[in-house]
Order: sequence, then C-alpha cells, then structure tokens
Amino acid sequence: MHPLRKQRLYVVLSILFGTATAAFLVFKGLSENINLFYSPSDLKEEKISVDTQIRVGGMVKKDSINKENNSLRISFVITDFEEDLLITYEGILPDLFSEEAGIVAKGKINEGGIFIANEVLAKHDENYMPPEVAKTLKDKK
Amino acid sequence: MIVEIGHILLIGALVISFIAGFSPLLRFLTKDNFYYMVIGPMNNLVCLFIFLSFITLIYSFLVDDFSVAYIANNSNTLLPTYYKFAATWGAHEGSLLLWIFCLCLWSTTYFFLNRQKDEEFVALTLSVLNQIIFAFIAFTLFTSNPFERILPIVPIEGADLNPLLQDFAFTIHPPLLYLGYSGLAVPFALSLSALISKKIDSVWAREARPWSLLSSGFLTLGIALGSWWAYYELGWGGWWFWDPVENAAFVPWLISVAMFHSLIVTEKRGIYKNWSILLSILAFAASILGTFLVRSGILTSVHVFALDPERGVFILAIFSYFILGSLIFYSFLNNKLPGRSTYNLASKEFGFLLNNVLLVILALSIMFGTLFPLIYEALNDGDQISVGAPYYEILILPFALALSILQGVGLYLSWSSTKQFNFLNRVAIESFSIFVILSLLVFFVFGKLSWGTFLAIAMFSWIFSGNLVDATYQSTQLQELKSILIKRFGMISAHLGTAFLILGVGIVTTFSLERDVVLEKGESYKLGNTHFIFKEMQEAKRLNYSFQSANIEIREEGLIDQISPEKRNYLSSNQVMTEAAIKPTLLQDYYVTLGEQVGDGAWSFKLQIKPFIRWIWFGAILIALGTFVSSYRHVKRL
Repeated sequence: MHPLRKQRLYVVLSILFGTATAAFLVFKGLSENINLFYSPSDLKEEKISVDTQIRVGGMVKKDSINKENNSLRISFVITDFEEDLLITYEGILPDLFSEEAGIVAKGKINEGGIFIANEVLAKHDENYMPPEVAKTLKDKK
Repeated sequence: MIVEIGHILLIGALVISFIAGFSPLLRFLTKDNFYYMVIGPMNNLVCLFIFLSFITLIYSFLVDDFSVAYIANNSNTLLPTYYKFAATWGAHEGSLLLWIFCLCLWSTTYFFLNRQKDEEFVALTLSVLNQIIFAFIAFTLFTSNPFERILPIVPIEGADLNPLLQDFAFTIHPPLLYLGYSGLAVPFALSLSALISKKIDSVWAREARPWSLLSSGFLTLGIALGSWWAYYELGWGGWWFWDPVENAAFVPWLISVAMFHSLIVTEKRGIYKNWSILLSILAFAASILGTFLVRSGILTSVHVFALDPERGVFILAIFSYFILGSLIFYSFLNNKLPGRSTYNLASKEFGFLLNNVLLVILALSIMFGTLFPLIYEALNDGDQISVGAPYYEILILPFALALSILQGVGLYLSWSSTKQFNFLNRVAIESFSIFVILSLLVFFVFGKLSWGTFLAIAMFSWIFSGNLVDATYQSTQLQELKSILIKRFGMISAHLGTAFLILGVGIVTTFSLERDVVLEKGESYKLGNTHFIFKEMQEAKRLNYSFQSANIEIREEGLIDQISPEKRNYLSSNQVMTEAAIKPTLLQDYYVTLGEQVGDGAWSFKLQIKPFIRWIWFGAILIALGTFVSSYRHVKRL
C-alpha cells in the first residue's frame, strides 16, 4: 500500500476505535447513571420500583422535621403544595437545610411509600432554589 | 460620579473595540494601510478604558456605594476590606468585567510582543480579539451592567457576599480561571488571522504554541484552586464533583492540552495544520460554552449565579457568530494545505495523533454528559434528570490509562519512524521496580492494597520512569544529565505532574475513610487507626459572624493535633455555614466537620481521613509550572 494511504488508514482506524470506545462507555454510563427527578405528585401517579435510584425534590414542610435524640436519624416531609412525601435520612444535613427550604434528595422509595435518602442537597444560596424544585413549585402553584 | 465615569469608560471601550474589530473591512475596501496601523493603538486604548472602568468598580466596592445595584447585592459594610475588593468579581456582572479585562491583558501583551512583526497578520489577530472584546462588552452593558444604579431609594446596607466566597482561594480562583478561558481567544484569533492571510505554516504554529500553553497553565491553576476550595469550604471533603461548571472548565483544558501537542507536530513537521486550526476553534468554542454554562443558569450547579434566559440567548448569539463564522472561514480558506511528511505507526507523529484523538474524544464525551440533561428534557417533554458522577468515572478511566501509556513512551519515539525499541525494555524494567517499591510502601503505610491503587501506582511508575528515570539513566555524565533536564524541564514537570495527580486520585478514592457520628463531650471515636476525641464546645464572635466551635483531639500513637471545626452564623445575611477543620500531613488529611447539636451536650460530626489528597494539587501545580516554563521559552524564541 502507498505509505500516504497507509498513514490515512491508521488515522481513520484510531479515530474510529476511539470513538467506538467512547460511544460504548457513554451508552453504558448513561444507561446506568441517569437519575430521574420526581415531584411528590409525580410519585403518586407513577409506580417506581424499589430498586431504582431516583431524585425527589420539593419544599420542606413546616413542623415536619423529626429528629431523634443522640442519633443522626432524621425524617421530614417535602411538599409540592399538592402531595407530600415522607423522607428519612441518616447523616449530617447541609447548612441550608431548614423548614420551607427547597431541597433535592437522592435515594430509593420503599414498599411503604417512604423515601429513603442517601444524599440530601440544599443549595448554598439563600435566594436560590434548585431549578427542578423551582419548576415543580411553579407548576403547582 | 465615579460610577458614571466607569460606565462611560465601558461604553467608550465598546465603541473603540467595535472600530478596531471591523477596521480590516475598511482596509479591504480602501486598500489604505492606515486602517491596519490604527488597530494596535486602539486595542491598547480599549485595554486602558477597561482597566480604569474595573478600577472604578473596585473603588465603589471599597467605599460601600450601595446605590449601585450590583454592590448592594454583593457587599456589606461589615465585610472585611480585602473581601470587599474581591467581591468585585463575586457575582455575574463583575466577573464578566473581569473576563473582559483578562482578555484585554492578553490582547495587549500580544501587541507588545509583536510590534515589529508582519503588520497585516498582527492587525488581523488584534481585530479578531477586539471583536470578541466588543461582543462581551455589549453583553455586559445590555444584559448585566455592573454600574446600574438603584434610584431613588438607596439601600443603607448591602445584602452581603455569599459567605462561601469569603475565602482567600475564592478571591484568586476566578481571575486565574478567566485568564485561562480568555487566553484561548488568542490561538483562535491567530488561526483566523492565518487563514485570512494564508500563512498557515510552522511560524504560525510556533506563535500559537506559547498562548495555548499559557491558557492551559492558567486553566490548570484555576481548576486546581477551585477543587481545593471546594474541598475545604463545602465541608464534604470532596475534591471533584463532576458538577457542570467543573466540567465546563475541564473540557477547554483537555482541548487546550490537545492543541499545544498538535501544534508541536505542525511546527516541527508541517502536518496536522487543519487539525490544529480546528482545535483552536474548538477550544475557544468550549471556552464560550463554559461561560454560557456558568452564566445562563440552565444547568443545576453550585456555581449558578443568574437565571435569566435573555442572557442565554445573547451568549448563544455570540457563540454562533464566532464559532459558525470561523468554521465557515475555515471550510472556504483551508482546502489547500499540503502535508509534507509521511510517518508509520511507531512514530512521534502517530503518538501525538493518538494523544489528540483520546483527549478530544474524552472532552466531547464529558461535554455530552454535561449537556445530556438538557437534551433529555427537550426530548421527553420536560422530564428532568441528572447524570451521576459514575458516568464520568467509567468514562475517564480507560482514557486516562491509554494517555498514561502514551506519556511513558512518547519521549522515545522518533519522528517519521522509530528504529530502536530497546527503550521499551528499560522503561519496563525501571517502572516495574518503582511499581514494586511503591506498592510495598503503600502497603506498609496503609496495611492494605486495592485494584484502584495498583492501577494508579502502575500508571505513576510508567510515566515517572518514561519521563525522568530513563532520561537520567541514559546520560553518562552529570553535565549531559543537567542539559537534558533543563532542556526538557517544562515537559518533564508537566508529565510528572499528571503522574502525581493520578497517584493521588487513585489512593484517595480507594482509601478514604468517612463516618458520620454522634459524640458526647469527652467521648472518642476510632476511625481506622485514628482516635477523634471531642473535648469541648466554644462560642465566640469575629468581625462579621458569630460561631460555635468544637475542640477535637486527633490521636494515633501519640497526639497528632487539636483542631476546631466551626459552625458560623453570618450576621448580615443570617446564613449558617460550617467551616471544616483540616489537619494536613504529607500522607493524609484529617478532616472534621461539625454537624449540629443532637441532644444534651451531644453533637454530630463528620469524620474523614483523606490519604494522598494533597498530591492531587501538587500534581496540578507541577503541570502548571511545566506549561509556564515551556511557554516562557517559546516566547523568548519568537
């Protein structure tokens, strides 16, 4: 084969190989690591398997935060002003977690319809709502 | 009054940059070289105006002029003076002005380094830069003006700077990052100028190289500083979150690294010209897109400043003008660029090609993951998703592995075709010895090993021996060794930097310990081999916040240190913030975050041990150092 043509073949092959590897990884990565976002109302409508990791969000209801003494277990209720959702979590909560703050929680829902969170996020700015929560609240109000 | 002067200066800069940006059109119509000659001085005038305008904003911050909306929203009389100064770029409007100022610094530096050079080429480059400056000033003035007044009712007190940003690292993180972002405009402008004046040759490549190296270096420092800041300030002990904004800086970094490698081949061998030009366009596109992602607020991110669709549309227009415009130029003007030399598989050319393919595909895949929530939302009727960190972790591992392998052998490949392969033997033996010694050391220190660590140590050893050990081994005399080390200092430093970074990442991700606990006064908790003892609580007040702090004693065999994590309450914004306490040592960091009171005298704590985390940032510093040294040498050579 002509050297220049051979050279071009190498180039094309290596780009193809790189792209194929990336495409495979992107596909695999996306199929396993997408976390769908649900509002409490969405959860009432849709049945979600207990094994699927999802994200939920809404506003923490007033007087719903329940802490156990000498433990890191906490439960609270979030709302989108139509439906409520009970969330339990064990661990330290972010600074901006408080009543009537917008939060997003990541975790799974159990058979009893209680959301077991493994991560709770409240954004680091007092005026700021996570966009998903802001959108949900706007839709419902 | 001062504020109005700043405002007028900004408008002045808008007008002059417009004239400077489009002056080549007049030259084209009149054939009068006067229109080239004026571009340089006008460029410097724009830079001066922007500088003065920036100064007036800083001054207004220092004197607490709350009649300015931007200052009222982001400063406060209680704020320490140093943070008032840095609050200038604490939010969207001011940081845009900083972005423009950084770009002006680059364009003026370019002008002074190239005064004596080819008039047309320099004038065209400066005009492209001034078009960019014009677009960003217009964006600032029309959508996000920092000089806007709140009249007639002037607030007595400002809303305060976000407490998270009241921190030293934050004050220099944006300037460094913006120097990197805006620096990518220079190779972009050089490429366009070369396309128009049909001078795409090794001279052009040599000129573009130091600029891409410099941007890379500043991006490296900016990203590393951001990572360090997030680590100690957010209180979670994480150093990289695959947050959209982190990705927005990481993608241009990857492309800029690809670019200066590709420019080496263009300079030395006269090939990959099209590719180098395309990369410079891609890098600038990534830089604008980065700005777009941070500023538009369309993606969930800790960094989001503003939620304003008008701004998004404006930046999209800027993006389309520069990127589509340059791609059109590229497709019409590039088609006769002959590549001269041929090469086979075992050659430096092919090594660089693989390097570029890997870096660019990785960058595009990360970009895809970052933008995927938007695509998904558009296709699925508003359903919202997020892409988890594991996506990126799965993605980056094979690419990092392949790039490390290349880094170890790249130095010994020859141009065109490699005849001697005995270096493979040596590098293999050397790296294997380092691998065994390091693995034993890690096992000795931590008492365990994992696949992740093995892999990281293997990559480290391979890069380390390929770049440093073998070069040392080859030279028979001290004099020779010295000259090799000096000649290759930039490259060796940057490559070793990645090796240290990989080692740090591998060990910290597999060996970190973390536990949320409840402790009563006097109680202790054992994490790994370390005892954390909760001694007492204190309460006090500092300049603009009150705080509670816990006294924690860290003990292993003996006392290591006492540290005090805090919970702060900022007086003006009534915002609560935890301030983690960290005891850094060479091998590991002890990291304690204070939670809240969970009972009578009992508090919750997050205890963490982070081995080798410092090595990540040490690696980044070495990388930046390498790029700076190399670019300095190239500038001197020009």
